Amino acid sequence: MTPLLMAAVAAITYGSRLAAMAVLPRPSGRVETVLERVVPAIFASIATLSLITDQPGLVEAPVLLAAAGALLAAPRRSFALCLVAGLAGYVIAELVL
Amino acid sequence: MAAPAAAAIAVFGVLYGAAARPLIGPELTMISSIIVFSGATQFTTIGLVAAGAGGAAILATVALLNVRHLLMGAVIRSSLGASRLKRALLAWFLLDESFGFTMVAANRMSPGPGRISVAERTLLVTGVCCYGAWLAGTALGILGAGVQGLEEVSAALFPVLFIALAALTARTLSLAARALMAAGITAVIAFTLPDWSALAPVVSGLLVAIPNDPKARPDR
Repeated sequence: MTPLLMAAVAAITYGSRLAAMAVLPRPSGRVETVLERVVPAIFASIATLSLITDQPGLVEAPVLLAAAGALLAAPRRSFALCLVAGLAGYVIAELVL
Repeated sequence: MAAPAAAAIAVFGVLYGAAARPLIGPELTMISSIIVFSGATQFTTIGLVAAGAGGAAILATVALLNVRHLLMGAVIRSSLGASRLKRALLAWFLLDESFGFTMVAANRMSPGPGRISVAERTLLVTGVCCYGAWLAGTALGILGAGVQGLEEVSAALFPVLFIALAALTARTLSLAARALMAAGITAVIAFTLPDWSALAPVVSGLLVAIPNDPKARPDR
């Protein structure tokens, strides 16, 4: 791993951020509608990925129960409630399992 | 709201610093966190280095990993102001976490200058918090800090954080249903094509977002 290669990695990473935010034209119409729908889908997808290991398999039970707790609280659409429910799920799993 | 995310990022920074130091040295480890500022990219890079991958393979993988920034950037772009320079500077702070907090804050506001101001401020504040946490964590990891016990708590924080963000942004039943479908598609991709799982957010997000509702009712 050379400093030049690391600089290239950095350039690709920032370039991908910069391209959509400051270089490409602002999306409009149908594209904007699709992009609005994408937001919760991306979050749900990232949450799912964080529950699956590289092997692939599922993560440890306390992490799964933390996610389950947050999922149970999700219909209330409260950030704090989701965090508390997730923490409760994690603590319960640690105590019981 | 950003404090739990920053705390978890700091722990993963420690893990990154500890894992990267023997592979690429303490100086390049710290420099990588300063100039890349992406946990997914940096962990993947050192994983490939450890596996003996060449420069072309590393760059191709990094490019694929960063495709999601194009989608997130296009989404967040609509909530930001007209100044290209300001957007270029804010682009540095585009992370999964800062993106989430910014979209939640923007969606609470009516369209207009107030919404733009809130979105830009949220992206800046959460981005700076996360950047500071990532750098501090990396430095501690290089110095040999141990995080036994904290690692699993941090691992639990990420799904909880993103479930909470999904819940906040899924303002209608249609959006919630699409989010659940995206989660299902992601699970299928992760288990059947694990090497491509980094692209699952982009693929599943687009797959569920493009079709219109059967009754063609607007989402908002």
